[in-house]
Order: sequence, then structure tokens, then C-alpha cells
Amino acid sequence: MSLGRFLLRRGVQGILVVWGVVTVVFLLRFISPGDPVNFIAPLDASPELRRRIAEELGLNRPMYVQYAEYLAGLLRGDMGFSFLRGQEASAVVFARLPATIELAVAASVVAVVIAIPLGVISATRRHQPADYGATLFSLVGISTPNFWLGIMLILVAAVQFNLFPTSQRPVGFLEAVGHLVAIEFAGPSVAAPLDVRAFADTLGTWLWHITLPALTLGTYFTALITRLTRSGMLDELGKPYVDAARAKGLPETLVRYRHALRNTLIPVITVLGLQLGTLIGGAVITEAVFAWPGLGTLLISSINVRDWPLIQASLIVIGVSFVLLNIAVDALYASLDPRVDYE
Amino acid sequence: MVSDRTKRNLKAELRESALAKLGVALVVLVLFAAVFAPLLAPHDPTATDPKNASLPPLGFSTTENRTTSQMVDGEIQVVEEEVQVNATASHPLGTDSVGRDVLSRVLFGARTSLLVGILGTALAVALGVVVGLTAGYYRGRVDDGLMRVADVMLAFPSLVLAIALIGLWGRQSIAIPDPFVRLGLAPEMPESAVIPGTVVVVVALVNWVWFARVARGEALSIRSAEYVTAARSIGASDRTIIREHVLPNSVTPILVLATIQIAAIILLESALSFLGFSGANLSWGLDIAQGRDYLASSWWIATMPGIAIVLSVVGINLIGDWLRDALDPGVDQGEGGV
Amino acid sequence: MTDLLRVRDLQTRFFTQEGQVNAVEGVSLDVREGEVFGVVGESGSGKSVTALSLIDLVENPGRVTGGEIWLRDADLAAETREDHPDAVDGTFVDLLGLPDRVRRGLRGPTFGTVFQDPASSLNPSLTVGEQIAEAVEVQRRADANPRSVRSRTQGYGLAKFLVGGAVPGRGYLSEESETRAVELLEQVGIPDPAERATEYPHEYSGGMLQRALIAQALAGEPDLLIADEPTTALDVTIQAQILDLLADLQAETGMTILLITHNLGVIARMCDRVAVMYAGEVVERGTLSDVFERPVHPYTQGLLGSIPDLDSAGERLQPIAGNVPSLLDAEMDDRCYFADRCPKAMEACLEDPDERAAAGSADHAARCVLTAMDYGDSPPLPDDHFGNGSDGDSPEGRGTDGNGGRGTDDRTGGDR
Repeated sequence: MSLGRFLLRRGVQGILVVWGVVTVVFLLRFISPGDPVNFIAPLDASPELRRRIAEELGLNRPMYVQYAEYLAGLLRGDMGFSFLRGQEASAVVFARLPATIELAVAASVVAVVIAIPLGVISATRRHQPADYGATLFSLVGISTPNFWLGIMLILVAAVQFNLFPTSQRPVGFLEAVGHLVAIEFAGPSVAAPLDVRAFADTLGTWLWHITLPALTLGTYFTALITRLTRSGMLDELGKPYVDAARAKGLPETLVRYRHALRNTLIPVITVLGLQLGTLIGGAVITEAVFAWPGLGTLLISSINVRDWPLIQASLIVIGVSFVLLNIAVDALYASLDPRVDYE
Repeated sequence: MVSDRTKRNLKAELRESALAKLGVALVVLVLFAAVFAPLLAPHDPTATDPKNASLPPLGFSTTENRTTSQMVDGEIQVVEEEVQVNATASHPLGTDSVGRDVLSRVLFGARTSLLVGILGTALAVALGVVVGLTAGYYRGRVDDGLMRVADVMLAFPSLVLAIALIGLWGRQSIAIPDPFVRLGLAPEMPESAVIPGTVVVVVALVNWVWFARVARGEALSIRSAEYVTAARSIGASDRTIIREHVLPNSVTPILVLATIQIAAIILLESALSFLGFSGANLSWGLDIAQGRDYLASSWWIATMPGIAIVLSVVGINLIGDWLRDALDPGVDQGEGGV
Repeated sequence: MTDLLRVRDLQTRFFTQEGQVNAVEGVSLDVREGEVFGVVGESGSGKSVTALSLIDLVENPGRVTGGEIWLRDADLAAETREDHPDAVDGTFVDLLGLPDRVRRGLRGPTFGTVFQDPASSLNPSLTVGEQIAEAVEVQRRADANPRSVRSRTQGYGLAKFLVGGAVPGRGYLSEESETRAVELLEQVGIPDPAERATEYPHEYSGGMLQRALIAQALAGEPDLLIADEPTTALDVTIQAQILDLLADLQAETGMTILLITHNLGVIARMCDRVAVMYAGEVVERGTLSDVFERPVHPYTQGLLGSIPDLDSAGERLQPIAGNVPSLLDAEMDDRCYFADRCPKAMEACLEDPDERAAAGSADHAARCVLTAMDYGDSPPLPDDHFGNGSDGDSPEGRGTDGNGGRGTDDRTGGDR
């Protein structure tokens, strides 16, 4: 089976899972206590007004009709209307999405850039101080709740030494890029494109604000990948093909990276695929610590005020991103390991 | 179900590995703190004491601006002065912003964490093993159906799902009387321990899928093993085969996974408490959330419970490594921390 | 013919948790240019470790602890004379006196190696063509610089690996190397080589894999091809094809082959001269006919007695009773290590036998008292002499004499 067909099949499976997600999200409202009308209608609303609100929202129709309409709406890109904010739910959610993506990507970059070399060093200098240090770091790293780590980083880096801001995201990454290329995005307008100086300034501000949140979210993954890389490298370096590669005269760097590390990364990617949920969940709580205006803070505040369209929209976007990420991981896995026959 | 060989492996690994010993020591320490919290705690963890608020832990001191008003020559004068606040031995880890003893809260917090961790895992194991064994043993439509449900469950990050469920269902909690207080051994302590019931149910609901996967895998592989075919050919019923053959073989991987999941659930519980989605009144996550507002003046309020979480989770993870190295079941790690 | 390689009193030991294992204990051999030299022995006799010691690939906790490995290489001798005068003798260089960097550089252009299990000797996630091209590329890059200034990494590191994975054409290999890899595959008889170069190891059969590994070993145009059990993992018909291939390649290129095997049939078919190893020592050596027609050592005789012979069908094969002895230093005492399994063991065998010249060609020698005395000159050992744990009865094991085993020099009497 070719990679294309494999992706097609995973895509179809993904669509089924997304449909399941949508259904669960829809049903969530019916299994939750509290009448949605209560959160919209004024406290002294007359029964007549309440009835009219319910009718307006379609809440008095049979469940299956509401479900069908909900699905139909989603297919049109309509995720409902948030009365509390007076905006389309999709507009609110997609305005928040870049912040969460930036955070998750920055954390992943931090993790990969630190963890892979650390794991390799740890495996190739077994029982030396560097190995013990890396092992201790990875043990503590996977055991530390990231909200606490975030608070500790704020305490040390922001409160004590005033190196980084404690919270907020004044500019987005795309705004920085907007100084180079003309792109359309939601946000404050910027000057004409191709302003390198403004680009560097904006990027600097962005980096300055995202450093602590990215470290907070990235530490668990750095620790996990270090651990996996170390044990995988130890496994691979003991295999006969490594000796064979040395016997043909390859320098040790080639043996390590081109041979052993390549095969180590295959299982590492599998485990990371399983851990994507932790990345997204971690992003939610990191956002809460740093008041980062992403999907996580949106979800929490929407739950607190029972803003149903927003709750549903953010859950669906989270679920769909998760499914897409999983397909991407599978494709990456398949491209690294030639033995996968895409089954 | 635990063979002599398994016990030998466990002992040998424990003897050789310093990390395994450290793990056992940490977990014993946390268990001890949780069980005997009412006897160990110097103060009632819920009792406020405004006069002794924001005391630093032993070995530290802070300064604090105090405003006092005095009658001087018939006029009220407001005096603002900088006062040095010293630690006191009766509050070794200091006090929080309303004067509650941090050490006592850390000790009692261990109860919530461990109770949620153990009860939640037990519930998840029960649910996951039943579903997984059924799916793996009967295969076909049953398997397909159950595994599609599992896929949808896995499409939600566990923390997100837990927030959604608890946020929407409310925060029910169950109070159980504390035996030490009942017996009159610790009269000044809170009368009951509060278990955040919704949290227990929700963490089990978001984590059972990992157990279902492992149990299903074991059931699939054992089902086709020759001795099971042999058992069936002599007329053993499905129920007997599952009980006698499939279940015992699944014990090791599930035990290892359960250990890691207890750690994961403790982290999940602390995250939920931190966000305010819990029902517990004594929880490390809750204390961290409260201490967060006083970072600039009283760093210890948020720091101490965090150290307690790290130590407990490190201990449990080390025990997980120990079991995995000694028993070598080859399981996925499952979703880890937060 | 001149010697290409002279190994003198090589000692390789493994320092394990159970104790010191003397895997190779005073091995000496000469390999002549253009010949096929066979090393034969049971598994655990130290023949593979000897080969790994030559190419400096003994894994931790193992180390070469003594001896000399003299390689004839005029260029290398001229280059190293200045920095390591002790390691140079005429056109010969003692490899054990050279820095690791230089020894690594010998893998490929001097020593090509074919390992036992073709299925696990290739990286499963790189194409066969890429892996052979690597072996070409590493030499191409090395040749671009004089030995003294060669880069240790050839400019390849983690960053290059990550970039090479993302950007095609920015990796390690050059197009020339990839073309050469296809030529090599063709040379070892792989049909449709351009196509097969793009396939992964799991798409190859066992015989094809071994051909590919031979191609990879040929990539550096080695002076000496070390073939460590090259046919053991293959089925019989494929074995014959691989041996034919090796013989053809040798005839074509004139390279020298060091063939390591436990299979006497392979030795008989391929080799000019042979060394028989037992318990880390060479117990008998000589030309093929010396060893096969006039074996002196009872172990060699026993090995030959356990090969089926079509001419004497009906006679029972005679297995050698017992097992290879433990090579733990603490359990080895100063005696002939084969004595406990030897049908002719006598009291003279309780002392370490020297290597002595035996009848036949000038090369023929054996490490056995029978080369010098007749059976019967010394009282036979009772059958139960080794029966009750006598292995441990000598507290002073070999090699505990305080100078790392140098004291055993006297045993390599036949040094020319």
C-alpha cells in the first residue's frame, strides 16, 4: 500500500473519530445539569421570555433534530453563536488558536532541541557525570506538575530577577512575520511589509513573552524524550549493524546519528504520538498559569459561564487538532521506518 | 498469581538498584504522612490564625510593611513601618496568607492525592480490564465497537476531558469520618477527610482506555495460545478460560501500568485542584493556586506543596521503573503528566 | 609470498562482573599476501574476538591487553615513523601502537569485514545502496586529505543528520558514491543492481544480503577481507554460492582473505593455510594438507573425526565428548586446556604445553606434548581426574602473575 492510500485510509478513520468527538460534545450538553437558558436569560425573565429564548435557540425541538442541525451547521463552518460574547463561536475560537499553536510548537522545539542531544550524550557516556545529570533531570522532569514549574519559573525568573514578563502575549508570531510578508490575519494592523527592523523587534517581544510558557510546557517532553532517546540509543548501539557500520570505517558521529539515532527515533515518535494528549492538556494549564490567551483559557472561562457554543467549539477544535496531529505522527513514522507496510 | 521467580526478580532488582530503593523510601514516606496526618500535623490544617499569617519557613525571614494607627495627642496617626518577620518553630514550613500551617496542609494534602490516585486507578483498572478482556476475547463486532469508543475517548486529552466533565457536572465530594479523631487520638484535627468524589470518577473515566488497550492486547495474544485452545477443547467455558488463563497473564503489565497511572492521576488531580475543578478542601494543587497570588511576598506557600508533589511522583515513577525492569512486561507508558 | 599480517601473542580479555575472561590468550599467526587463511574452532574458542581485535572493535568490557599486530603497509610505516617510532619496523607497523583515529582509518581500505548474520548486520532503516555508498563515501572523503589532518567527524554531526533528513541532497552521500555502490552490487552478482540498491534490507533474501555485505566490505578496496562465519546463517545451497563468490573475487582482485568458521568443510574448500583454535589459543596450525592429512593435536583429530566422509560411509561419526572449558581467568589453570576432553590425556598434559614444530611443511606446528613424545611416555590420566571439580583447584590462575600475562611469552616458541 502506498503512502498516499495509507494517508487516505487514516483520513477516513480520522473523520469517523471526529464524528464521534462531535457527537460526544453535542451530548455533553444533555448530560450536564443546568438549563442553558438560565445562562442567557436575565434573572427576572418571564416564562414567556424564557420560552422564546429556548425557541430561538432551537432548544425545545427533539434532540435528534437539534443534532442534525448541529451537524449541518458544522459542515457549513457554523459552530453556533456565543450570546454572552455576541460573536460567532468559530470566530472566537480561531482568534485564540494561533496562541495555542505557538505555545505547543515552541514547547516541542525546546524539547526536541534539548532532549535529543542530551539523550545521545547520556547514552554514549554511560555512568559518567553527564549521564547521571541527564537521568536525574529526566526523572524529575517527568514528575513535576507543569503548573507548579511555571509558577516556580515566574518566582525565580520574573519576580526575583525580573528577566522575563510573568504573563501575557502582546504580539503573535504572525504579526512579526507580517512585517516581512503581506498576510491577512486577525489582529492589530501593522506597517507595510518588508520592515526587517520591525520584524526583529516584534519577534524579540514575542520570544521574550513566550520563553517561560514554552519552557514550562516543554520540560515534561524534554525529560520524556531524553529518557526515551537514552534507552533507545543504548538498545541500538548494542546491535550488530552498529559494529558493521564501524567496521566499514564510519566515523563515530555517523554511526551514532546516521545509524543508531535514526532507529532510536522510530519508537520515540510512537511514544510521542501517544503523548500528544499530554501536550494539549499541558498547554491548557500552562495558558492558565501565564494568562496566555489561547484555547485553554477560553475553554476554562467558557465552562465557568456555561457558554455552550464556545465550550463545544473549543472542544471540537481541540479534538480535531489531536486527530490531525496523530495522522501526522503516523505519516512521519511510516516515512522513517521502511518496514511499516501501512497496515 | 505472583510466582516465586517474580518475587526473586523483584528482590534482586531492588538490591541492585539504588533508585528503586529511593522510590520505595519516598512512597513509604508519603504513605506514612497520608495515613498518620492527624497525628503528625502540628496544627489543624484548616484553622486560620491572622496574627500568625505569612510566617516564613524555618531558616528564612521576611520583611513586611505594617500600618498601625495610634492615638498621639488626641489625634489618630497612621504609622507605616517595615517589620522583620521571623520563622517560628511551631510552623516549620511557615504559614499561608491567613495563617494556616503549611506543614499541616502538606501532610493532609498527601491524603487527598493518594486517595484520588489509588481509588481513581482502581476504578480505571476495573473498567478497563472488563472492557479490554471482553473486546480481546470475543473479538469481532464487540471488539470493533468497544475500540471505536476507546478511539473517541483518546481523541480528548485527558486533562481537557476532565475539566469539561467536572466543570459541567459540579464538584461533589464525600466526607468520611477520620478514625484518629473518632478515637480521640487527635482531637484538634478536622473531623472528616474529604474525598473529591467527582474527581475520582472523572480521572477513572479519562484513564481507563490505557488499561483496556493492554488487557485487550493480552487477551488477543493469549486467546490464540495453544494451551488455551487445549483448555477449550476439553470443554472449559469462556468464563473459566478468562479467569484461569487470560486474567493471570494480564496481571503483570496491568500492575506496571497501574503504578505509572497512579503517578499520572496524582498529577492530574493536582492540576484540577489548581484550576479550581476539585471538591477537596485540602489539596496540594489548591494550595499552589492560593500561594500563586502571594509569590512576591510569601514564596513558600506555593513552593512547599509543589515539592511534595514532585517527591511523591518521583517515588511512584521509580517504583514503576523497578517493577518494569524486574517484570519486563513491555507496555506502553500511557499518557503521563500534565 | 610475503606476510601481510603478523599477529604475535595477542591477548584479549573481558572484564565482566563474574570475573576476567581470557577470550584470546597468546594467539600468534601470520597471514600471507594473496592467500586464504582459515581460522577454525568451536564457538567460544576466541576466533571471532581475534578478528575484532584486529579491527579494534572489541566491545566493552573487553580490551586487548597484550601482544602485537604487525601490518605490512609501507605508506603507513613512513607516516607513523616520526610520531610512533616504536610501532614501526621496516615496512611493518604495530597496530596496537597506533592512536584510535588511525586504526579507525584502517577499517575499510585495509580491513574489510563481513559479519556472521547478514540480516542484522545492515541497518534496517537505510537502503542497501545507501549503506554501501556510505562505505565508499567515507573512503572518498578520507582520501581527500592526508591521514594526519583527517577530520574525526568528516563534518557530519547531529545538525547535519537533522538537515539531511529534511532537505534532500544535503546529507552525507555524494552521487559518485551511489553510482559506485551500484557497480559493487553488480560485482557481487546481484541482478538488476540499480533497482535493488534502492531497496531496504528486509526486502532482500539471506543470500542476497550476504552478497550486499560483501559488496560493502569491498567498497574500501581492502587489503585483507575478514570473513567471520560468512555462511553460517545461510542454507546449504546459498553457502556454496557465497563461497564461490569469495573465491572468484579473490582470484579477480588478488586480495587476502582471513576466513573464520567452525565448518571444516568450508576450510577444506577455500583455504591455503589454517589455524585451529581452542579455548583462546591456537592449538595447531599449518598448510591445509598438514592439518587435514597429518593432524597432531587430538583436538584437530577429533574435529576431523566429526565430519561425515562419503568414502567411509557406515563408520560412526565421533563427536568430541565434553564442552569447551570456561574461559574465566579464575577457573583456568596452567595446563593443556583440552586435557579434560582429550582421549589421550596423560600426566604430562597437566603442564602448559609449548608450541612445537610438527612433521609436514615448515609451517606445521601444534601446542601438544604429542608433537615431541609418543603416547605412552607419560602415565595416562585416570578417567575421573577432571571429574570432581578440579577446575577450581588451582588458586593461581593464569594471568594472575602480576604483569598482565606477559610472563607467558615463553609459550610462543615457534616465533620466526
